[in-house]
Amino acid sequence: MRSIHRRTLAVAVLVAALITGLTTISAHGQDGSVTFDVGEPQGIDSMSPLIGVVVPSFEAWNIQYATLTDKAAEDFHTIPGLAESWTASKDKLTWTYKLRDGLKWSDGKPLTSEDIAWNVNTSRKEEWLNHSAVTANLTATAPDPQTVVIKTSVPDPKLPTMDVYILPKHIWGKLSPDERDKYAGEDGVGSGPFVLDKFEKGQFARFKANPNYWGGKPAVDTVVLRKFNNPDAMVAALKTGELDAAWDIPGAAFNQLKNDDDFVTNEGYQGSFSEVALNGGDGLKKGHPALEDPEVRKAIAHAIDRDTLVARVLDGIGKPLKTISPSANPEWVPDLSEDTSLDFDLDEAKRILEDAGYKDTNGDGVREMPNGGEPLKFTYYARSDGETGPKVAEFVRGWLDEIGIATTEKIASDSELTPIIGKGDYDMFAWGWTPYVDPDTMLDYMTCKQVAADPDDPTNYYNDANYCDPEYDKLYAQQKVELDPEKRKEIVHEMLTRWAHSGVYNVMWEEPETIAYRKDRFEGWTQQPAETGPVLFSNTSPTYAKLKPVSASASGDDDGGGSGGIIAIIAAAVLVLGGGAWFLSRRRSADERE
Amino acid sequence: MSALAEAPSARRIAWLRRRRAVAGAWRDYRRHLPGMVGLVILVLVVAMALAAPLLADEAGLKAINSTGNPTWASPSEFGPLGTDGLGRDVMTQFIWGSRISLLVGLAATILAMVIGSVVGITAGFFGGAVSAVLMRVTEWFLVIPFLPLAIVLAAILGPSVKNIILVIGITSWPSTTRLIQAQVLTLRERDYVDRSRALGASNWHLMSRHILPNVSPLILANTTLTVPIVILSEATLSFLGLGDPSNASWGKMLDDAFESGAVTLEAWWYFVPPGLGILLVVLAFTLVGQALEEILDPRLRDKHG
Repeated sequence: MRSIHRRTLAVAVLVAALITGLTTISAHGQDGSVTFDVGEPQGIDSMSPLIGVVVPSFEAWNIQYATLTDKAAEDFHTIPGLAESWTASKDKLTWTYKLRDGLKWSDGKPLTSEDIAWNVNTSRKEEWLNHSAVTANLTATAPDPQTVVIKTSVPDPKLPTMDVYILPKHIWGKLSPDERDKYAGEDGVGSGPFVLDKFEKGQFARFKANPNYWGGKPAVDTVVLRKFNNPDAMVAALKTGELDAAWDIPGAAFNQLKNDDDFVTNEGYQGSFSEVALNGGDGLKKGHPALEDPEVRKAIAHAIDRDTLVARVLDGIGKPLKTISPSANPEWVPDLSEDTSLDFDLDEAKRILEDAGYKDTNGDGVREMPNGGEPLKFTYYARSDGETGPKVAEFVRGWLDEIGIATTEKIASDSELTPIIGKGDYDMFAWGWTPYVDPDTMLDYMTCKQVAADPDDPTNYYNDANYCDPEYDKLYAQQKVELDPEKRKEIVHEMLTRWAHSGVYNVMWEEPETIAYRKDRFEGWTQQPAETGPVLFSNTSPTYAKLKPVSASASGDDDGGGSGGIIAIIAAAVLVLGGGAWFLSRRRSADERE
Repeated sequence: MSALAEAPSARRIAWLRRRRAVAGAWRDYRRHLPGMVGLVILVLVVAMALAAPLLADEAGLKAINSTGNPTWASPSEFGPLGTDGLGRDVMTQFIWGSRISLLVGLAATILAMVIGSVVGITAGFFGGAVSAVLMRVTEWFLVIPFLPLAIVLAAILGPSVKNIILVIGITSWPSTTRLIQAQVLTLRERDYVDRSRALGASNWHLMSRHILPNVSPLILANTTLTVPIVILSEATLSFLGLGDPSNASWGKMLDDAFESGAVTLEAWWYFVPPGLGILLVVLAFTLVGQALEEILDPRLRDKHG
């Protein structure tokens, strides 16, 4: 399972990072073992599912921790995991799961129903970050070592899916709740196909095959997730054969790899989307007063051209989208293609502002408030992490300028922006989400109780538009207990259409995971969902357990395809370093002249 | 003879002498080949910066006005210098970028020179406790590595052209101070300064009439040598993402090129022009500065024969 999370791409600024990117070497085929090297630009933030939030962390947990039920690679339907079968009571409030025979942790200790009951009950009680959305209403008991009984206090459309990571009780259960909250989780004991071998935060995580995995020991011996500070260096490493695969490749480089016969490129859609959010004014601090006027929000919605953003910012790798996509499964997104109320139309935007009384009275090109005369000047936060932030800002600034709204652009890293949003200290920002399979959690994030309310802990909330719509909350409560999938879908579509029309959340696009892998190294790549989904960094990451080397001679067959890029990077580094040295020598000689 | 009848005033003599000195310096300068090469480059770049509105439409800097252009078009496909990843014309960015780069370069240098000269003259002239305090502050700024200090300041102040000028200005003055202070130390012991003091001249008079004019050639030469450092600093800070996002300088262009993957795409037309622009301007200022230094500093002139 996977949390909705902020995407935290690493910013690529330092030459030092470039150089480390070039000098690390992969361990292909040494001593005959098989290593699968994956490059990624975000980095695992923590190995503990109680702490981590970014996509690579979920990738690590997906391969280290098995879940009670698994999800089919092709369409996410619930399939056996640690449990091989389950039955429901008539009222669907009690579910009984039967575990597989002979389950063992990677350290050889038996994995029993005790482990599962402990995870469900403790995560509920202690509100574990990435478990409690599933286990909040659940209570588990273990009548015998192979049977788990789970009771829910309210009807739950998610059951029988039980997709939380099962942590080893014999390690995590020894800790006090406070210790558990801070525990780094680097013990390397798990029940998935691979378990952690060595973790250097910000550099790499190495995993070794788990001989006790219930699906059998994988064909690959070692998996390395390597973090790159610079996506360009990552692409160069992929081209030279240092990496077998890379994820989150920038659009322009990805388009280039499409034409390279040595690689397979994969645009994997799983519901990730990006939006330009406004300050709805219901949080700890209101934004610009004009933003509380639905007419102004409507005008801004008309000033965002999704087609151009997809074409120019994503280099065409993405799909324009008008509303939140709450699930990796596209069925949950309402079809708003006929709805023109959110379409790009600068003249309409100007007309709306003009009619609502926002006029440029002093002729400086910026409109003023109808009464007070305060100019429409918004603070816009662009993310420094990731490469789309500045580009989106460039376009949005331009369009808003056209309709008479000025923007003051500020740049913030993800860790800076999170508290700014919590405190309501912004007018606009652009960011994105990757949703779960079940839409419940993403929908929950836009409810009123997720609007920041505690000034001492402003980051413990998810409603980043700081916008509360009681009608939306009512619909949310309805869908949460609706067991008929068709009816639930209708309610969800209504909620999302409502939220889109509020104008506080201008969704721009749905973006795919951009992955490329070498043709000659491995086979067994599995898209999740089938045909449209990503082969890596997907919801349950099924590829790793299925990978096999293509043939014995496959490894070490490098070609010089990427040398041009490497030379260019080295040249850039030399230029920068040379400039620095010259600069230093100038300063020194200036001193010596005294 | 009439010239004897009306004796020229002291002011007029001073002016004549200065004009002669400038004419003489210019004569020397014209013979200095590297200096002339630098000057010609500078004149061309400054002309381009001033004439930017005539050479390229400012609207072309905005991505929303470039949606009709192809992205990553090479110079052979589009215009003289191709387009970037958002379809913006690189030539337009190059021309307008020269304005910001030169503006920051000159403004920050002036700021650094003013601070550096005032502190240097004050410390050198008064000596004693004043000098001790000022020079310790100067040394403090001198030992702190420039880049970390500038990055911290830029991050705190936020990205804008004004702040970049401020940050570079207040981190670039200490070496000038050291230079000026050393020169003032020798000047204040000269006989004519002593005589002037004996005649009752105030400190202000001494500093403004006798010290400042005598260190001004040094300040001038040092100014032209500081500009290239400042322009490089601006490019460095912009490249690190600390520049003003809405005002494209050459450094910002390099940052954009790097961030948008122009290196991987081998889109040389995006990073070569700003890089070359910076190189040329820095080279030109350095050549001019060294020429001025040689001509204006008698010690160097003797050395070079």
